[in-house]
Amino acid sequence: MASRAGAGTTPTVKRALSPRGMLGENRPTLWLAPLLAVVTLFYLYPAFEVLRYSVTNASLLDPDYEYTLETFTRVLSDPVLYKVIRTTAIFVIASIVLQLLLGLMIAVAVNRASKRRLPGMVFMRSLVLSAWVMPGVVIGIVWAIILNDADYGLANLLLGAVGLGSVQWLATPNTALMSVIIANVWRGTAFSMILQYAGLQSIPEELYEAAEVDGAGALQSFWYITLPQLRPILMINIILITISTLNTFDMILPLTGGGPGQATEVLALRTYNVIFQNFSLAGGAVLAVVMLAIAMALTLIYQRLLRSEGSL
Amino acid sequence: MGRRAQRRVGDAMTYLVFFFALLFFGGPLLWLLSLSIRTQQEIFITSLRLIPENPTFENYTEVLYTAQFSVFLLNSLKLALAGSIGALVVSAPAAYAFSRLTFRGNKLFLIGVLGLQMISPLVVVIPLYRYFDRLNLVDSHFSTAMVYIAILVPLATWMLKGFFDGVPPALDEAAMVDGCTRFGAFRRVTLPLILPGLTSTFVLTAILAWGEFVVPYVLLSEPSLLPISIGILNFQGNYASNSTNVLAAGGVLAMLPAIATFVILQRFIVRALTSGAIKG
Amino acid sequence: MKRWAAGPARVAIVLLVVFAVVGCGGGGGVLTLDRIGREDAPKTMTLQLNNSYTHQSSTPTWADGFERLFTKFAEDHPDWKLELKIVPDEQSTQAQARLLEQARAGRAPDCANVDSFVVAQFIEQDALQPMDEYFDQEEIDGLFPFVKDVVVGDDGKLYAYWWATDLRLLYRRSDLVPEAPRTWDELIRAAQEAEQKDSKVDGYLFNGGRWEGTVFDNLAHFWSQGGELVDGQGKPIFHEGQNREYMLNTMEFLKEAVDSGASPERVATIKDYSEFESAAQAGTVAMFQGGDFQYPPLEESLPPEEFKKWEVSFIPTMNQGDLQRTGTGGWTMGAFSDDPEKVEMCAEFTKEVYVGEGNQVTGQLPTNPEIFEQEKKFQDPIYDTFREGLKEGEARPGVPVYPEISNQLQIAIGTVLTGEATPEEALDEAADASMAAYEQQSN
Repeated sequence: MASRAGAGTTPTVKRALSPRGMLGENRPTLWLAPLLAVVTLFYLYPAFEVLRYSVTNASLLDPDYEYTLETFTRVLSDPVLYKVIRTTAIFVIASIVLQLLLGLMIAVAVNRASKRRLPGMVFMRSLVLSAWVMPGVVIGIVWAIILNDADYGLANLLLGAVGLGSVQWLATPNTALMSVIIANVWRGTAFSMILQYAGLQSIPEELYEAAEVDGAGALQSFWYITLPQLRPILMINIILITISTLNTFDMILPLTGGGPGQATEVLALRTYNVIFQNFSLAGGAVLAVVMLAIAMALTLIYQRLLRSEGSL
Repeated sequence: MGRRAQRRVGDAMTYLVFFFALLFFGGPLLWLLSLSIRTQQEIFITSLRLIPENPTFENYTEVLYTAQFSVFLLNSLKLALAGSIGALVVSAPAAYAFSRLTFRGNKLFLIGVLGLQMISPLVVVIPLYRYFDRLNLVDSHFSTAMVYIAILVPLATWMLKGFFDGVPPALDEAAMVDGCTRFGAFRRVTLPLILPGLTSTFVLTAILAWGEFVVPYVLLSEPSLLPISIGILNFQGNYASNSTNVLAAGGVLAMLPAIATFVILQRFIVRALTSGAIKG
Repeated sequence: MKRWAAGPARVAIVLLVVFAVVGCGGGGGVLTLDRIGREDAPKTMTLQLNNSYTHQSSTPTWADGFERLFTKFAEDHPDWKLELKIVPDEQSTQAQARLLEQARAGRAPDCANVDSFVVAQFIEQDALQPMDEYFDQEEIDGLFPFVKDVVVGDDGKLYAYWWATDLRLLYRRSDLVPEAPRTWDELIRAAQEAEQKDSKVDGYLFNGGRWEGTVFDNLAHFWSQGGELVDGQGKPIFHEGQNREYMLNTMEFLKEAVDSGASPERVATIKDYSEFESAAQAGTVAMFQGGDFQYPPLEESLPPEEFKKWEVSFIPTMNQGDLQRTGTGGWTMGAFSDDPEKVEMCAEFTKEVYVGEGNQVTGQLPTNPEIFEQEKKFQDPIYDTFREGLKEGEARPGVPVYPEISNQLQIAIGTVLTGEATPEEALDEAADASMAAYEQQSN
């Protein structure tokens, strides 16, 4: 440790700045300092504050608060929480699986089209991307119009046109959750597609050529070359879309508002409601801690998987 | 099956995927466009006709007429730029260190940074609101941009590390032999070499920042400061006057800048992504 | 079409104007994005307004109207500049909570739009300054009773001026439902008969989705039986004693409406008044419970011969002869400043811009019967019905726990309508959650 050198300032600084000192340019300290500062101030400190608020009775309506475990036990013993967590799990898992699959399918198609120089590739890519950059609120409203349960809702009109009956898209708890997932997949697929497409482009062509020489069919080379080569990017993709899906509520608000009942109330939306309807900062903090715990658990799982990849 | 026949089948499959993707992704977008050129009277008439009886650009005029719209766009631009540039500045040296330096806990540290990505902005933004409130920093672009930076840093660090890994260490070592310090080599040799990587990281983080909702929703309330992702709510009207048509026009206008950026730069981005980060 | 042709040209002009305004950062006019009055005016007041009630409203006619009123105000009061802080309508709950927090810390704007249903809470917290000196006694006495109940404190002083309100009513197509139903049973029967007359229509639509309107609208059924949501201390009591029965009756009625086929299942998804207008336009609804504010858009969007069929009546009650009740909301102006000069200015601004004139611009109902007579906008006979209805107006309780009660009742109504819970189960859950929120808030 540089500070233990102790004999006057100048030698210490010199020592510290020397290549072997703590602040030396071959040491990580200075390189990482800005990152550490930003992360500490805007991630770690608030995360710590959330922990602290979760053991108080803090409210948005009152600047004073006391320390108590009551909020914690109250929120955690509320059976509704587990219903919300279940909804969130279905929403997140279904969204991730569908986004990955659809993203991969479109990426493969776009990749193939670009290799074969088929027309329409750039258009396709841009189209999917448009969904991603649209404000979430607008997405919710557009889908609310499309999935209107009335016979004159757009989706029902289309079903009617091909001779099928109307569907209650939003009126029953299960279909409402499905509708929210569809809208989220519509929005999020672009991100997976871009990452997968970039991954596909980086697979050396020689691998496929060698496989073809060995007589492998299209499906076999997809299974034995494409997928294994894509695995690292799939992992990082999963991490990123997990977190963005866990956070989503901007689109759900105009689409269902969390209803009917609580059928589409996900953890993020509940946290928002607890803080801004109920004004309970502490209650919101407890839910935030729950989110934090889920996130940490998932990070550990993903890290396991990543490590087995040997990619980090 | 002959090679050519197989290609044909492949092409057909490709277009089949395109067709369904076009329906699923294009349909709602087309409907948004259709809504945006409707009069108030025609918003509610839902029939399958895409072009309304009396198409109008009035909604676009309304959106642009409310002087706020350009302010919202400008704010989004400011925040997205500040957030992504800031994230680059903070994460480039860190990514370099993770890629080049050997120190204890290097891997663990990197995983830790990635793990931060899992902390929801919704979690951090609430205490930050209180904290900024005490410092009188609520309703400030500066504090909001700092939070954007913090949120984007994990992704940027991870991507940039991949790009640095793609540059042979021999290059910066050669520069150091020639008398450059490591900082110098970083600045003059390595950074310019990953310029494509910097650009793609920049664009990706900027687009993410463009769509950020939770952070500005909580930290900003003055319309003159709001980005478009929140400001768009102002075009929703109130229950006395439905203005879905105006909102649709706003939505179309709001996504144009982000799409334009991507369309212009997409070749470049994809090339950059493929050349470095992805190999991991 | 003229409108069509004028589009591009107007876009171009507007773009120029927009960039001019943005470009020079506000300029020196009497009205800018964030200021009413000249920049060099000696006296300053800060003013927080809802986006809708400004020259930047997303409704063009409102924007034009307020631009005119603001400009006139600035010209009439050259000594003052009002610095604007405009809050989005959509963030109303959040903005009001924030406003209260600021008031406590002494950082509130001098004058602000305050949601009518939080006024009581603001008065209780001593956040608002009395304004009676600056209003004539008639202007206060003339207010509808439900308005006075809210804005006049226990000490008899006026703490905010409520200027715009609304109410809920039953709309019906008279060709399908000739007689206005007066009771719940009559309503359901009339709905079924209408469906028999025209197989395309849904008999009765109402807000049943996850949003404030669901509770706001359907509370009328609870209130008309004599129900009360909270007691004098602001404690939830809607699940106790008689209230419990009233609330269960209400939920059973809504459930019955769906089960009997009078209402379609999709009422559980309706979270927007404009749904009713869509249905009216598609010709698929016989009756709906909506707001007075839907009358002008209906008139505008329906062909005249269709519009003629629509009639408006009061909300049916459980039994004939029960109290007539209807939910009323709206906005007030309140003063937070200690400076009497600013309080006076706030009152002046309210009177000159919003009371009467503002109602004329927005079409939102005045809070004083007198104004119904004065303003041109309200001469249509339909407004006599609205004015009558307002006499039975009831405001939501302005207590901190109300948003959570509402949230819980939205959930309860939703789960009852979808059959996930019985009215008893749903009410018990709503009561538990509301009590928990109340206890936590009153710690």
